[in-house]
Amino acid sequence: MSGHARGGLGRILLIVGRVVLGGIFIFAAYAKMKPQTGMPWTLGSVRTSLSMFAMGVDSYQMLPPAAVSPFAHALPIFELVLGIWLLTGIALRLSSLLSTLAVLMFFTAMFSAYERGLTISCGCFGPGEQIGPRRLVEEGVAFLPLALAVTIGAFLIRRKSRAVSSEARAPVQST
Amino acid sequence: MLVDTRATGTAAYSRGNSRYNKRAHLDISVGEADLKRRLRTSAGEKARHARARTLGAAPAFLAVFILAFAFASTAGPQTAPLHVKAAAEPSAPAKAYGSPNAPITMEVFSDYECPSCRNLFEQTLRPLIGSYVADGKVYLIHRDFPLPMHKYGYEAARWLNASARAGQFQAVEATLYDNQNTWAEDGNIAKFVSGAMSPEAFKRVETLMRGCTDPATAGQQGQGCVVDPYIELDRALGNKIPVQATPTFVITYKGQHLPAGSGFVSWPILKQFFDSLLGQ
Repeated sequence: MSGHARGGLGRILLIVGRVVLGGIFIFAAYAKMKPQTGMPWTLGSVRTSLSMFAMGVDSYQMLPPAAVSPFAHALPIFELVLGIWLLTGIALRLSSLLSTLAVLMFFTAMFSAYERGLTISCGCFGPGEQIGPRRLVEEGVAFLPLALAVTIGAFLIRRKSRAVSSEARAPVQST
Repeated sequence: MLVDTRATGTAAYSRGNSRYNKRAHLDISVGEADLKRRLRTSAGEKARHARARTLGAAPAFLAVFILAFAFASTAGPQTAPLHVKAAAEPSAPAKAYGSPNAPITMEVFSDYECPSCRNLFEQTLRPLIGSYVADGKVYLIHRDFPLPMHKYGYEAARWLNASARAGQFQAVEATLYDNQNTWAEDGNIAKFVSGAMSPEAFKRVETLMRGCTDPATAGQQGQGCVVDPYIELDRALGNKIPVQATPTFVITYKGQHLPAGSGFVSWPILKQFFDSLLGQ
């Protein structure tokens, strides 16, 4: 396979990776904000869902009570913005780096809860999912490497395209 | 002569329509071979841009697909509130606080030997009972879910159910949590139960507890312990959720039961959630 073809495949894989990662973040935000069954899509019902998510955040026992609610209300919005940002591909190095840090933060929080023997809901994609070895493996084996791969890919491809463009810009000796 | 090939090429491309015109214009500064290379590069760039546009549209389509899938998954099956099913059991003792007509019902599955359950009771449920339950906003139900890992958890649940049959649920629940560290050491639960009620009431409880004192028969039906079916009824309800840990709580609002939560939750956060529900 030529270097050009490899570069093309790399770009396609990067697009697929960032779309999947962006989709995961958007879905995570949606799952936290969506109204509970039987409730309409209103600001009040979204607030109820976010308050419910706040209970999940509180159960991690990592934040002071005053910080729980602001964090729980800000996180889904952050996830939504980050997901859309990843999908657009604009400033991908920064967005992918942020997504890796976010996944790392989630993984650390879950691992900490598991280590402390807390049997709580993960809260990752809405309520109900219990923290356990399976959830940790999913997060650690699937999401974290994906975010890392997109970040590394974004940096590598950017560096490569810079090298190509500087080559094209190089002055040519006329005959 | 040194020339910026990109700048010259772009200018020439914009000025002339024919390939020869472009070439004539550029011939001054660069050679023909170089010109051909640049024309090829220009065509290649156009193709790359076209590919990029196509690939750039893909995320948008995928985003729409993901959102459509997410919206489609909103409509889930609605389950009847658990407390309605439990209420259908006529002989079950009342293990609850407040009015059953309250708009919010909170059912807590707990084990009396579980430290998180004690923390939830002491730090969250006590203020809840004193305010929202007293005001008729919340109906709080206790559900037994003794875990096998706790040596005296099942026995404590037996004492509680016997006390509930004698109308002493609230006092005994409080004393079991208040003295959890002590009775969890030696299993002497009767000492604290007797201290929480009158001697007459304790006699009734002791009568109900006949045949229940053997920890080996915990959870075994037909062993002569009259309160075990109540515990098993709660456990069966818990297994339907399913309860995977204690404490687990199920909140029902106007007949709709919300997804179960587990672990400790502080009172200000729970209160905020109830306020958002009541503000609907």
